[in-house]
Amino acid sequence: MKFHSFLFITFAFLISVLSSCTKENPSPVTAGDTNDIILEFDNRVGAQKLVLGETTYQTGTGESFTVSTFNYFISNVSLKKTDGSSIKFPNQYFLIRQVDNKTWEPVLKNVPAGDYQEVTFTIGVDSAKSVSPVAERTGVLDEGSYGEDGMYWGWNSGYIFLKLEGTSPAAPANGAGVRRFQFHVGGFGGMTGATVNNLRTVTLPFPQNQLATVRKNIAPTIHVITNLQKLFSDKTTVKIADTPAIHMPAAAVPLANNYVNMFTVDHTHND
Amino acid sequence: MWLLSVSLLLVWGCSSPNESNPEVSFTVPANFPEPVYPFERNPMTTAGVELGKALFNEPLLSRDNTFACAECHSQPYGFTHHGHDVSHGINNLMGTRNSLPLQNLAWESSFFWDGGVFDLDLVPIAPLTNEVELGENTKNVLDKLRATKKYPLLFKKAFGSEEITTERFLKAFSQFMLTLVSANSRYDQFIRNEGETLTADEQAGMKLFEQKCSSCHKGALFTDHSFRNNGLFIQGIKDVGRARVTELEKDKYTFRVPSLRNVAVTGPYMHDGRFYTLEAVLDHYAEGVQDTQNLDPLFRQNNIRGIALTSQERQQIVAFLKTLTDEEFLKNKRFAAE
Repeated sequence: MKFHSFLFITFAFLISVLSSCTKENPSPVTAGDTNDIILEFDNRVGAQKLVLGETTYQTGTGESFTVSTFNYFISNVSLKKTDGSSIKFPNQYFLIRQVDNKTWEPVLKNVPAGDYQEVTFTIGVDSAKSVSPVAERTGVLDEGSYGEDGMYWGWNSGYIFLKLEGTSPAAPANGAGVRRFQFHVGGFGGMTGATVNNLRTVTLPFPQNQLATVRKNIAPTIHVITNLQKLFSDKTTVKIADTPAIHMPAAAVPLANNYVNMFTVDHTHND
Repeated sequence: MWLLSVSLLLVWGCSSPNESNPEVSFTVPANFPEPVYPFERNPMTTAGVELGKALFNEPLLSRDNTFACAECHSQPYGFTHHGHDVSHGINNLMGTRNSLPLQNLAWESSFFWDGGVFDLDLVPIAPLTNEVELGENTKNVLDKLRATKKYPLLFKKAFGSEEITTERFLKAFSQFMLTLVSANSRYDQFIRNEGETLTADEQAGMKLFEQKCSSCHKGALFTDHSFRNNGLFIQGIKDVGRARVTELEKDKYTFRVPSLRNVAVTGPYMHDGRFYTLEAVLDHYAEGVQDTQNLDPLFRQNNIRGIALTSQERQQIVAFLKTLTDEEFLKNKRFAAE
């Protein structure tokens, strides 16, 4: 008896855990209901978790490197429903900073109830916002909020869309003997004339049977994996040895062309 | 006399001035065009301008608390760095460019030698964060200001509460910089028929200037706000000018056409301060123009490179340029630190 009751409890526990994760048959959509959607950005290097500091990773071409800073802006999120309609989240800017886990899971508020199958977002700060008055540069767009970890170019007005810094034996040693590399990607296309535009937009369909079902009682999480390794090798191979310091839009084009393919939706949680 | 004192008063709405902090009206000089700065976004007030002036003279803005903006932008020299070809900042680090005068900024829509900044409100961030200028970051500066007794009160007077934000900080800076209007040189008084006379040489120089210089140094502001390659010998760090920010071949070696107001006191000249006298500048245009990439077509007319100028004509142009010195502007106590 005792054994049976133990089995029963275990079974019941497993059922409850599994069902809370998947909710196979969510309740029908009630018009007017809203809830949050959480975009979880999970930064990795290939099949490894990204940890800042000492951990050594390898690029696709075999250069080893460590990461001290990894930041990027996400903006202009939109979500597509199974009926093909979309909902946009304009004027919301998120800065994912690996050093601060509070920034890893930005929340989209007041998402109408429905079944969502795809997310689209821009990597960077769109050109309209990049030329906007200071009054509109609040939150993560406030230049005065960054401190040492700047995400803005003062000399060439514009945001740094993505920043990766670290060390690598492939980088030349500085005066202090540190082999540092710095990739700063920016460039919104120019205020008066056409200049390099490193804004990229990605559309990520959710895996099969992984709809995000927003309901009054369900605030789904969309688990996005950001694979840093793709930054070094996707469309173009980027070698630290060739370009250890990238601080200008034109030099950063290969990185932008790579980061457009850096993201995948791994799964969704509907709870 | 038809232009005499027809100052257009622009009083802007959407502000919340009060008796203790009256609005400052921005006066457009009679011989000037309409300004381009969007005043409606940042209404100028007495306390806002005062705060901006205090910040302009505040060493806390630098990493080691030794340097203020006013160091490289000194009023008696048209707000430039007197005697310095390129400016130096904290720890005696040297920059690569000559500090530009700060004047008539309400009429500019791009800033610095390469035009890399397109909004006056965003200008202070550049020198503040440049490692060889003030070498700081805005967050540190705001924190330092918050820790003082003085600044929370000045922010309250200017903006209604003690809160110190990036937006308020930058807007106060703009309010002060916008007041730096230079429009009362002997030339201005002459052109506005206010009783000033110019000598024969100065008048001859003015005519020559109109013929030979004013297609770029245009109108009342003495600039057409463009970026051009004026044929300087490419030397030193081989500064690519505007291409530094646009990364476009067509912009290589082009630099801002600077205003010539107060030019007699803002030397040395050119983006790298290579010419120490106005005579050297005129000699360059007459004899020294180099055929480099993107040389402006204006310097290549009728198969002649440069601008044909006899030595007498050069002297007369220099005499005219000296009439652009605005003593009232250079000595106005309103702009000076308390």
